[in-house]
Amino acid sequence: MVSRKIYLALFCGLVFGSAGCQKFLDAKPEKTLTIPSTLADFQALLDNYPIFAPDPHEGEHSDDDHYLNNDDWESLYSDYERKIYTWEKEYQFDSEANSWSNTYRTIYFCNTVLEGLQKINRNPKNSAEWDHLKGQALYYRGKRLLQASFIWTPAYDKGTANSDLGLPLRFSADFNIKSKRASVEETYLQLLNDLKSSIQLLPINPVSKVRPSKPACYALLSRAYLSMRDYVNAGLYADSCLQLNHELIDYNDLDGTEINPLKRFNTEVIAENEIGEGQALNFTRGRVSPDLYNMYDQDDLRKEMLFSNNPDGTHGFRARLVGTTGLFGGTATNEVYLNRAESYARAGKTTLALNDLNKLLLKRWRKNKFNPISGLDAKEVLDLILKERRKELLFRGIRWVDLKRLNKEGRNIVLTRNLNNKIYRLEPNDLRYTLLIPQDVITRSGMQQNPR
Amino acid sequence: MKHLFILSLLLSWMPAALGQTRINGTILSFHDKIPLKKVSIKIKNNKTTLFSDDKGNFSLMYTGKPINLEISYIGYESQEVTVISPSTTPLIILLKEDIFNLKEVMISTGYQQLPKERATGSFTLIDQNTLREQVSTNILDRLEGVANSVVADRNTSAANGRLMIRGLSTIQGPKEPLIILDNFPYEGNTENINPNDVASITILKDAAAASIWGARAGNGVIVITTKKGKLNQKLSVDFNINQTLTDKPDLFYIPQISSSDFIDVETMLYNKGYYKNDINSPLQPALSPVVELLIKQAAASGLEKEKIGDQLNALKRIDVRDEFNKYFYRQSLNQQYAVNLNGGSEIMSWLVSSGYDRNISNLNAPYDRLSLRVENMIKPTKQLELNIGITYTNSKSENGRPEYGSITGHKNSLAPYTRFTDDNGNPLALPKLIKPAHALNIGKGKLLDWQYYPLEDYKHNTTSNIQNSLLANIGLRYKLPFGISTDIRYQYQRQQTTDNTVNDQESYRSRNLVNTYTQISKTGEAIYKIPMGGILEYRNQLMQAHNLRGQLNVDKSWNDHSVSAIAGAEFRETNQGSNGLTLYGYNHDLLSSGLVDYTQEYPSIINGSKQFIPPGPPVRYGLTRFVSLFSNAAYTYKNKYTFSISGRRDASNLFGLNTNDKWNPLWSSGLSWEISKEPFYKSSFLSYLKLRLTYGFSGNVDPSKSAVTTILYQALSPYTLTPYARFNKFANPELKWETNRMINLGIDFSFAANRVNGSIEYYQKKGGNLFGTELLDYTSGIGSTIMKNVASTKGHGVDLELNSLNINQDFKWRTNLNISFNQDRITEYYLSNREASVFLTKGVSGLKGKPTYAVFAYKWAGLDPQTGEPRGYLNNEISKNYNLLVGSGVKIEDLKYYGSAIPTLFGSIGNTFSYKNLSLTFRMMYKFGYYFRRNSINYSSLYSQGMGHADFSKRWKQPGDENTTNVPAYMYPFSGQMQTLYSFGESLVERGDHIRLHYVQLSYQLNKENFRRLPMKTIHLSFNINNMGILWSANKEKIDPDFIGEKSIPNPRSYSFGLRTNF
Repeated sequence: MVSRKIYLALFCGLVFGSAGCQKFLDAKPEKTLTIPSTLADFQALLDNYPIFAPDPHEGEHSDDDHYLNNDDWESLYSDYERKIYTWEKEYQFDSEANSWSNTYRTIYFCNTVLEGLQKINRNPKNSAEWDHLKGQALYYRGKRLLQASFIWTPAYDKGTANSDLGLPLRFSADFNIKSKRASVEETYLQLLNDLKSSIQLLPINPVSKVRPSKPACYALLSRAYLSMRDYVNAGLYADSCLQLNHELIDYNDLDGTEINPLKRFNTEVIAENEIGEGQALNFTRGRVSPDLYNMYDQDDLRKEMLFSNNPDGTHGFRARLVGTTGLFGGTATNEVYLNRAESYARAGKTTLALNDLNKLLLKRWRKNKFNPISGLDAKEVLDLILKERRKELLFRGIRWVDLKRLNKEGRNIVLTRNLNNKIYRLEPNDLRYTLLIPQDVITRSGMQQNPR
Repeated sequence: MKHLFILSLLLSWMPAALGQTRINGTILSFHDKIPLKKVSIKIKNNKTTLFSDDKGNFSLMYTGKPINLEISYIGYESQEVTVISPSTTPLIILLKEDIFNLKEVMISTGYQQLPKERATGSFTLIDQNTLREQVSTNILDRLEGVANSVVADRNTSAANGRLMIRGLSTIQGPKEPLIILDNFPYEGNTENINPNDVASITILKDAAAASIWGARAGNGVIVITTKKGKLNQKLSVDFNINQTLTDKPDLFYIPQISSSDFIDVETMLYNKGYYKNDINSPLQPALSPVVELLIKQAAASGLEKEKIGDQLNALKRIDVRDEFNKYFYRQSLNQQYAVNLNGGSEIMSWLVSSGYDRNISNLNAPYDRLSLRVENMIKPTKQLELNIGITYTNSKSENGRPEYGSITGHKNSLAPYTRFTDDNGNPLALPKLIKPAHALNIGKGKLLDWQYYPLEDYKHNTTSNIQNSLLANIGLRYKLPFGISTDIRYQYQRQQTTDNTVNDQESYRSRNLVNTYTQISKTGEAIYKIPMGGILEYRNQLMQAHNLRGQLNVDKSWNDHSVSAIAGAEFRETNQGSNGLTLYGYNHDLLSSGLVDYTQEYPSIINGSKQFIPPGPPVRYGLTRFVSLFSNAAYTYKNKYTFSISGRRDASNLFGLNTNDKWNPLWSSGLSWEISKEPFYKSSFLSYLKLRLTYGFSGNVDPSKSAVTTILYQALSPYTLTPYARFNKFANPELKWETNRMINLGIDFSFAANRVNGSIEYYQKKGGNLFGTELLDYTSGIGSTIMKNVASTKGHGVDLELNSLNINQDFKWRTNLNISFNQDRITEYYLSNREASVFLTKGVSGLKGKPTYAVFAYKWAGLDPQTGEPRGYLNNEISKNYNLLVGSGVKIEDLKYYGSAIPTLFGSIGNTFSYKNLSLTFRMMYKFGYYFRRNSINYSSLYSQGMGHADFSKRWKQPGDENTTNVPAYMYPFSGQMQTLYSFGESLVERGDHIRLHYVQLSYQLNKENFRRLPMKTIHLSFNINNMGILWSANKEKIDPDFIGEKSIPNPRSYSFGLRTNF
């Protein structure tokens, strides 16, 4: 060792001086490459929107907002999409290019940032940026866990959450740490904690709606508590969100002749995420369920603005807000209004609940056609709100978790598919409401698969 | 054989004594008059043999009768001499250098030149004459057929093949051998080397030969030595012309589905409603011509219906390959000219050469290369030697017509019944994106024609690639006393590559882009977000390499000892940068262009999805640096025993390695013993025998591996207008360089009066710290695989090289035989995952005891006799449970193992027959002991992408077919898992063994000696046929195992005429 160093020093000393040699070898092999270590590096990672955009799409592909006819189902390229549609019992996922991989890739980004921040001194000069970074990373880790738990864990149930299988929780960028499934309780505890810790660190008005913000965080917390059927907290967080952002679009201002009258980053959008449409939910295959389409009144402008008309008389969904053919998966004020209304209704505050609902519907109906609703009892209000929720929050990845929680309450919604004259049924609270974790993940990690 | 009658000069001075007289003689080389030692002198009269001494002298007794002597020596033409009278002056016998036979060769390692005789390592030298047996633009293309233990692997890597020396030394690291041009690694494109400048190529095969190149020598080293001028030599001029004509490639080798079958498939899919999604789509995507006809047919009735049926039948007779042959392919013509002038005085030598190549490819794509080289050596004093060399190469290639596979219509495929013209020869449009009527509709008539015309389109796209390469070097050698000398060498290499792509306004690409970004306002006006006009894409790449070397040499002999040693240090830096720009609205005649706004997203006129205007390429810059210390020493005792030792250390600027860890020592050592020089050695049959033994290490560096997590900055995020980044490499702290240990045992020999010579070598290789892929639980967030130093491999092999002169009369027959046997297997692989899919799809296996590249397959139980569905084995029982048959639960143990995916026994045989100045050479190449997986019908891609395979016609159709075919029945929908079972099943694995006739050369040489009126010294005429094709192949499918890719076609046969002259 010693002789080696002497040899090296001697040689380098002769040619460059030892420091020179060191310098010669310290040059970066690629200029665009760097070891992530500065606040700017971490922001650059968090601004990689293609990584952060996708929300799991399996819920939307499994729910009853749409249906596929037999020809369209058969013509799907991948077995996987066909299997998801029919709630196949086994082997749903066939490759690593799935939402599980997307979910945990984002979490890796977040963990890298969170670990990296520990190594940077927070001082008065950088504190604003430092906090903002931490907030973004916590928000996204929480958000990913929430969206993934809708797919891969059973609906939250206070009674069994401690024993129900949750998600693996990862807090480190060290990929050698073995994945272990936490309970549903632990999963929710963690995601709520991540989201709550981020609130104070996030701005009210982000630079772009692809970045998180305080209202986005409140909206997500409201969604999370709703999925836990903790309606009080769902209402509180919805209220906090609406304090900061309560804009609604008046559909009377939209131009129905445009390909898509609803625009990207419109005023209702709080934060954007995307749900992959795959082949099943492209413009022409996934048709709007007729019972859903028929729920809209003729004077309800949503009937015009949200849907496209197919030559065969069926309807497609055109309100794709993400600028591509993908579906919108973020948070928007209409969801938050409905969350708050439901919370009020369940607490028996019918007036407040109807206030929110009327405010929303007024902007949805043709001018002067909408008569504000009043004079209903608490149950009627709740039923009405849930009906309006179904009509307002469609093709957004929300229906699946709503189905899970509502069936928990005995709403008894049965999903059916009809293909080749074969009827597929998904009974309330069926184990298949919890999708299978991709089999290769189970094989490689030894984690427990969801029961069937 | 030449008969030379030597008459004594003093014939008239005949001594009276008729008793015994001693005759003394000296054997010298014909050209440089150097005494030749150990030359075999056979006295035919009494069948005894004696040898010349160190000074080339010999003596024999003259008994009064004429003595017939046969004098032979390795590397020289044998001579018969008849001594008819005694003489008192010594007899001088001049032996002519035999240009076809192996000489006492100098081999080059890039650091020093040494006689092969004194080397302990394993070297293969390919001389100029062997290289000249083939004609090619790139000199390295000629190696596979002639170099010992070199094989091009075309199955597990790129289609044009990757040269491998003695098999693989790595699993996941870089696999290319290191290319050295004269003294330094050649970083540029080897196509820029003028093949006529090459004097010889040395292949460094074992550790002792290659380890001087240290951390980059793990895959073997190829040293290209260029021609040099010589001191004290008159002006010599060489001129060389080659014209090569190449046949059209055989498109019918591609197993394309027949038009008739394909139309049947489309009809079935149409009836099943597969196209409904597209037909009903408001976006009105383009449909295939057959689907359009089927829609019309469904709506029509009576006569009209029949007419459409006729049209469909007419399409069934079209084969798009005929169209390609007719409109796009032609014979290619390659022209090569080279001139070389050299000469030298007492204090300097010089060489000027130039080469010009002009190739017109099978697709009419021109390629021009001009190279110019100047070499100068000045020796102003006895001590000082100065070398200066400059090589400049300029090449330019342009695109030609589109090749098979490059024209695609809708869904990125091309129907086999596609026609490029209508019956009157007018260009036909190919459905591509949306229906023309719909385009008219959405664009309110304001859009450019949105149709794609394959026959016209290439005329509107010009791509050119210009490479300027400069190689300059300077070397200074100063001789100190005691056999010591110092060298300083510097080389600068610069390669600038410019790519220019112009799609003019008429091109589909420009029209498509302009149309997509057009917005139609409410009032029906068109706003063009991308200005009308063409698109210019300009890319510029600059590679520069600096090499600086200081070296101390010792070359000293005293008494029985001789020492030859070098030691030195070098610095290397290679940097590579690229940039470019993209211009829209470009007009090539005016060089004008338009402006676009990159900061906003615009809705596509087709589906409203928003996108940014594609920006130009990012700016890139990369840099690798190495600092190395090296030393090599050889000590020879009594010209018989040689001991060699070499060592090297490299350090580099790779990410994340501490300087201390960067220094990676690699060393080797060797022994050789020339047994035939021992006094006890008496065999006159085996006249030369040398044993060699070496042991050592070389390394393999992968600059892309990193020990820390790195991120790669990309462009600005359009949303936040801040830069965004992605992960590039994930922390891998235990990362080490791969090492390759090799033991080599070699025997060099020559026997039968030096008419047979060659070498046989046995080697053992052991690769350590090899990178391997570990499958990851992707919950970790970094994807599903990670690279680690996890594996070691063991390989061993035998290389035999034999040169023989079988017949040595006026008619001569020479043979050069290369046999290489190479086997490798994984000895350790510390990975837990044994999922079968990895071993099937990734190509590289990581299974202990199996070759690095191995062929495995799902066990195949034939087709279901009832349904024609593929069946496999699950727990030894026939099964159709595809979830389990191909799922992640299938382990490597469940697969059938075939063998290596790369040849384990390979080589070549060259035979040259010559009569006087006429000679004919045949070279055969063979590869044995390996397997490959052939392509077949893939129903998933047939339905979704319209990609069919001729095997479709062999599919199972009715019960009973399962006895004659393994091609699954045609089902819809076809499950991807079923496809996986078939595609990776046993029925598609074939043996790769084959023998091919690589080339034939007929040549004729005219010399001044034979033709006194010849204005020049020599004229050499040759005629070559290359790629003669397969002579024998183990597979019954008529597949050339070197061309198994989906659209790959064997290299077509080519014919070359060559003229070489020297004056």
